[in-house]
Amino acid sequence: MTVQKSHLSAFVVLVIMLSFSFSGAQLSETDQACLGCHEMEQSMHFGNGEALSLKVNPHEVEKSVHKIIGCSSCHGFTPDNHPKRSYRSRKEFSSLSARKCTRCHDTNESPIHKKLIDESATKTTCTDCHGAHNVKRVRELSKGNQYCLTCHNKELEVHYKDGHAEKAMIDEAVLNNSVHKSLSCVDCHVRVSSEDHPIREFRNKREFSMVMAENCRRCHFDKYSRTLEGIHFKQLTEGNVKAPICSDCHGTHAIASARKDKLANAQKCEQCHKDIYAIYAKSVHGAALIKENIEDVPICSDCHKAHDNAGPHTADFRISVPQTCASCHAKKEIMQKYGLSTKVIDTYLQDFHGVTMKFYKQYGQTEKQIAVCIDCHGVHDIARVRNQGAAVVKQHLLKRCQKCHPDAAANFPDSWVSHYEPNFKKASLVFLIDLGYKIFIPFMIVGLLLQIILHLWRYAVNR
Amino acid sequence: MYTANREYIRRFGPARLVEHWLNAGTFILLVITGLAQKFHDYDISQWIIMSFGGIDTTRLVHRYSGIALTILTVQHILVASFGILFRKWQPSMVIHMKDFRDAIDNIRYYLGLSDEPARCDRYDYKQKFEYWGVVVGGMLMAATGLALWFPTVVTQVLPGQFIPAAKALHTNEALLAFLVIVTWHVYNAIFSPEVLPLDTVIFTGKISQERMIHEHPLEYERMFGVTLPRHHGKDEEPSEASAAPGHGSTPSP
Repeated sequence: MTVQKSHLSAFVVLVIMLSFSFSGAQLSETDQACLGCHEMEQSMHFGNGEALSLKVNPHEVEKSVHKIIGCSSCHGFTPDNHPKRSYRSRKEFSSLSARKCTRCHDTNESPIHKKLIDESATKTTCTDCHGAHNVKRVRELSKGNQYCLTCHNKELEVHYKDGHAEKAMIDEAVLNNSVHKSLSCVDCHVRVSSEDHPIREFRNKREFSMVMAENCRRCHFDKYSRTLEGIHFKQLTEGNVKAPICSDCHGTHAIASARKDKLANAQKCEQCHKDIYAIYAKSVHGAALIKENIEDVPICSDCHKAHDNAGPHTADFRISVPQTCASCHAKKEIMQKYGLSTKVIDTYLQDFHGVTMKFYKQYGQTEKQIAVCIDCHGVHDIARVRNQGAAVVKQHLLKRCQKCHPDAAANFPDSWVSHYEPNFKKASLVFLIDLGYKIFIPFMIVGLLLQIILHLWRYAVNR
Repeated sequence: MYTANREYIRRFGPARLVEHWLNAGTFILLVITGLAQKFHDYDISQWIIMSFGGIDTTRLVHRYSGIALTILTVQHILVASFGILFRKWQPSMVIHMKDFRDAIDNIRYYLGLSDEPARCDRYDYKQKFEYWGVVVGGMLMAATGLALWFPTVVTQVLPGQFIPAAKALHTNEALLAFLVIVTWHVYNAIFSPEVLPLDTVIFTGKISQERMIHEHPLEYERMFGVTLPRHHGKDEEPSEASAAPGHGSTPSP
């Protein structure tokens, strides 16, 4: 302590007189005597070099619920008996001081208090949350989220049975930036209220997250019921706790709209599917999103779906591929921005593979395999065709053709007119044959019909 | 050999009748399974394909009917070639300049520009047109059909574009054949006032003397060694004397 004992008695007299004039009459004389010195700017220094101001605001004390018990009830000092003490750290000082709370307040009444005191009395002390000189009645504390934050904006920790500890401190700014900012803490943390804060024991953080994620469905039941059809939920039920739950993709306190930021959305999948994301990042779609910030391109969830992602290895997924691609590639308003043709879908659907696919789909023969978009264009590694040389495209295509047509020769890829409607420049032979018949068929049929009519007419005249 | 009596003259042997109906059967099957694929967006097509048990079965039926028609066509060409080669058949289906003149003459007659229709031999120009349509079209359909069935084999030697070209030929030629059959052939065999309600020749193999004289006067004249009176606007029955069948005449198929 830095206050010199020799000056003390002189101060006491002065303080008593002064405190009568400054402070309210409610404080006891002894307390006013204490404030006589502690209203002044002074500080104490700890062994570790920390400093603590010893100035006490008399108004705080007056408003405090503890104003009736007097300074010495907690501090043990009186103006006459004020021994010099030294502490290693500020924390040591406050935790030793806080022990005195337990003289009156039974911590066993509240399990969370008991746990905090028992587990980490040196880390978390009563005053951290309740304050020291300004201690208030619980019912006078703030309402709503601020009530929770009274404690949870402090350096609290939660401990799991596996020995791991995690911060239980919540940054209010993060909460206010989330899409859930208008919700209360207890909307998600359902078992906790201002009345009751039960202690729940979890084996590890994952178990806690999984239990917490159960609460999302209280509002988002539609999404939840869709996840039941998804491959991730299936894996969870099979015991794979690494399979993603709501909070793995959406976050917790910082929860944000998944629609706003497509790149961030895709990166959520990257957390587990790193290798696929790396391939996607190099594809025409991924590169446009990542390098050029073009948001028209599909991200993972556009093709795989988000909540009801049934996995790509189902027959239904495969046969729906043309429809999936068509959801962008058949839309003029998107395609014309990039000078792409919307005829790619129709030309496919009118050709052998497309017709076959259509009928397989129509009659539920989804187990049968027929070439769809991805069989020629690739899946995550879809590349731009336009800027490649025709020879390169053909060479790549041949390999893809050979997957189903093992005896395909170098000429074989040309048997596909590459999504063009035959014209004089592309596929001129096909174009000329079609044109020839377009003229010849009507010419022939009209000619024959005319002969029939003439014949009938002549027959009628002869009769 | 043809048996000729007063009313009916034998025109086709049983083999040719069977051949026609096999041809007709496979053609109908091919048209049903083929057009359903060509016009796959229509409800009726989808119903047909579903009735066959899906697109794969439909294609299978189409391909095997195609093989059947190919065999029929090839067999016909061989039989006809050898028939002509060994002088058992007359080359009566060969197209002559007379057939073009007959077509023009007939149209002039229809228009009232001449008093007499064309005088035709065993096969008139309409029949030759259909016959060669079936033979040449059949070969074309078989060739392009096989190319579509085995595209990887074809492109071992031919350019890739031949496959979509084969498809264009196959699908357009099919439509043409179908339309010719449902208009021209069905009219001439069923709805034409000269045969209505039905031309029974292809069931019985025999044609009535009246129709023979009217439709194939040159063959009739040669068959019976008679000279028919020329038409003057209206069909006339030949006189009893002139129409008397001459025994020992050599009919030409």
